[in-house]
Amino acid sequence: MKKLMFFLLLVNFSNVKSQSELLIPKEAITVFSINNLNLLQKISVDELIQYEFMEEVHQELFDGSTSEKTLKDAGIDFNQRLNVFYGKNNDYELSGFTFGVSDLTNLFEVFDDFEELQSKYDNTKLYGSFFNNLIIKNNAALLIRFEPSNELVNRQTDSIWYSRGNLPPFDFNEEAFNEEVFETEDSTYLEPIIYNQEELPIEIDDPNEKNYNELRDSVQITLQEALLTNLLDALFIDNLNLVKSDARFSEQLTHPCEATFYFDNSRSFKTANGLWYFQTIMPSIYKDLQELYTGNIILGDLFLNDKSIDFKVKTYYGEKLGDIYSEMNDAKFDKNVTKYIHKGNSAFFTYNVNMKKAYEKAYQTIMPIISAEKNADVAMNVLMLELLNEFVDKDAVFDTYKGSMFATFNGIKKINTKKIEFIYDEITFEYEEQETEAVEDMPVFTLGFSMGREDIPEIILRNLGKLTSKFEKHDDYWVLNNAILEAAPLYMISKNNLFIFTNDVDLAVNHSDGYGTNSLPKKVVRKLKRGGFMNGYLDIAGTLNRFPSDLLNNQQSEMINSLKGKSGKMYLSSSKTTNKLTAFDLKYEFNGTEYSGQHLLDLINTVYIFSK
Amino acid sequence: MLRYYFCFINSAMNKVFLFCLSLLLLLSSCIELIDDITIHNDGSGTFKYTMNLSSSKIKVNSILALDSINGKKVLSKAEIKSKINLFASHLKTQTGISNVSVSINDLELIVKFSCDFTSVSTLQNGLKNALIAINNNKNTEDLNQNWLSYDGEVLKRNIPLFSITLSDHVKELDIDLLKTGNYTSINRFDRPIVKVEKVGAKINPSRTACMLKVNTYDLHKNYSLIDNCIYLSPKKNK
Repeated sequence: MKKLMFFLLLVNFSNVKSQSELLIPKEAITVFSINNLNLLQKISVDELIQYEFMEEVHQELFDGSTSEKTLKDAGIDFNQRLNVFYGKNNDYELSGFTFGVSDLTNLFEVFDDFEELQSKYDNTKLYGSFFNNLIIKNNAALLIRFEPSNELVNRQTDSIWYSRGNLPPFDFNEEAFNEEVFETEDSTYLEPIIYNQEELPIEIDDPNEKNYNELRDSVQITLQEALLTNLLDALFIDNLNLVKSDARFSEQLTHPCEATFYFDNSRSFKTANGLWYFQTIMPSIYKDLQELYTGNIILGDLFLNDKSIDFKVKTYYGEKLGDIYSEMNDAKFDKNVTKYIHKGNSAFFTYNVNMKKAYEKAYQTIMPIISAEKNADVAMNVLMLELLNEFVDKDAVFDTYKGSMFATFNGIKKINTKKIEFIYDEITFEYEEQETEAVEDMPVFTLGFSMGREDIPEIILRNLGKLTSKFEKHDDYWVLNNAILEAAPLYMISKNNLFIFTNDVDLAVNHSDGYGTNSLPKKVVRKLKRGGFMNGYLDIAGTLNRFPSDLLNNQQSEMINSLKGKSGKMYLSSSKTTNKLTAFDLKYEFNGTEYSGQHLLDLINTVYIFSK
Repeated sequence: MLRYYFCFINSAMNKVFLFCLSLLLLLSSCIELIDDITIHNDGSGTFKYTMNLSSSKIKVNSILALDSINGKKVLSKAEIKSKINLFASHLKTQTGISNVSVSINDLELIVKFSCDFTSVSTLQNGLKNALIAINNNKNTEDLNQNWLSYDGEVLKRNIPLFSITLSDHVKELDIDLLKTGNYTSINRFDRPIVKVEKVGAKINPSRTACMLKVNTYDLHKNYSLIDNCIYLSPKKNK
């Protein structure tokens, strides 16, 4: 009986996890795992590569021989997941895919530049191309690019180079090294430096002795091979992969959703370029900060419904970071905010945090870490922070800026400006300038901050008003003339414990106490109050249809135009933050006849375009 | 719409169009352009050119606030001013050109340019040479065209070829924005005008000046709208 149960358990396990995800290396920091490939089967390669985000993938994987082929024809097993992964640390960077294989012959019609290499792993075939390696085990494949970092290659090369008694390989003077900037017809660019022959690594008389660059190339290839061998040994000999090494990822894969997202921020933190100073100069602080981020991981599920796409994300924290976040997000929603969001707005965003609590918790958590560092500069900074903490009236500071804010976008409106016109004398045809009223289109936005001290901005504005006549005080608001693009006024409202910046004259002049019955409906307000620290809403039609396509190139304009025909609404909400996690829900509801997969691809591409 | 305008000012050739007499600037939305030429009996005269973008301040300033558009650098106001001043400094050195003056109102986005010339041909040559000079001494076929000719009795005006070349790139979508702009051409003389060929050109009561005002959208559709031939009365013998 026990044997039967064990057998059933094994069968069940193998059904839950197909082969492809077992090839995701444990070094992966980010993984996007697509469960339902039906959507991809409906799209030809040619159609798919029209998307800009596919451009880079296409350049590496596909060529002319795949014309009119679909992914379905590429020998891919659509009963398995397609996993896209990326990882990086100080020594290497890796990226790739894992997927199921149904037909090797068809697969190699797509991957036609791969050559078979010798494999030492059981039931595993190894292939290589100029940049990538393809490993196939049973019915799953791993396509991977694994590159040692420049720092590692340089370090190893220098070590070998100098151990052989060589002199520094590059002997160029500072003047030659300076990059010269030239202005060309189309743009400013950096002219490549051309070194004199003497400045290049000198070819050594002995043809068997490598010069620096040749040595570096060898080191790079050797390191690449060694790193890849280590990774493959772990995968195919030790059976170590991300599913086994991270239980949270393994559990996430069991969710009945179309795709899963995994991001290990604690490992990403270690490789963050901005932290090199801590790593090298203050290693103990770096180590403590690293501990602070331990357990910081983001997991998400993507659901494709008939008329909506739902992205549910959970951000997990370690204990210390979780304490800071839970204190920071322990803020009561400022109900005054909703008065200033018009019910017909195109987009809004609310952010509700308690900066005072966050400061106190961060001070309590981070100061001991910094104080422990035996470094003169750090000691002086600690002294300064402690004195400020004692002397500064924190109540006044955090009452002025509580941390909560909101922003709205109300589309494009006509706003009044001044312009100069030339008026002609009909007798002489002479002309002179005359200032007249003008109307121009402008995106209308509002940005507001919660505060408990309305007197503070009043003090600032009153004194700024003495400095320049551009500031004008009105009964309910201040106005700074020609503040926006030297043409349009910026209005400032300090009321209802909010300080608001807006270029919406209607809000400033007629609704300085809020929109009243035209503000957000009570149902939405209740939802905002119940939610967590972050909420948002975006009306695709109301926003993208007004997007200034003049500022995009043709390809980007086409993409935006393709989205413009769509009408949909996007909602972002968050849960209450605990010291372990915060959950986010991004829901996109749309109208139209197309299926949600195509909508998703459009959205992914849009995000890609704007994040490039 | 203004993408074309700011892309053109990015390249050296396009910088040319910023300050020249071209109608290229009709590519810009809601733009007011005035070219005003006074020709005396001895063939000398004064040329004034005004570009007024004040009714598009928000749009222009929002683009100037960007580093680049479509991968091409957008010049800052200071750089544009510098290029205009460089053009003026080159023009000052041209034979037959004097009293070169440039005023730039960067708040209202109005550029005014004027110079005196000894003859229409020295004006054309001077402008052409100054444009080539700021274009790193590159010449183009478009610049070889004579768009202005005067024989003492008749003034002929055409549209500059380079403006035709560039205005062909205007997208259909953008063309709508041209509808609010206008181009005004004024020609002044010491003696009366006998007749003008262009229907719609106005002659002042003393018949010493004529003015032709066209909509930039219409001009884009029909370049010959700005062509004109002005016949003057014979010079009086002293």
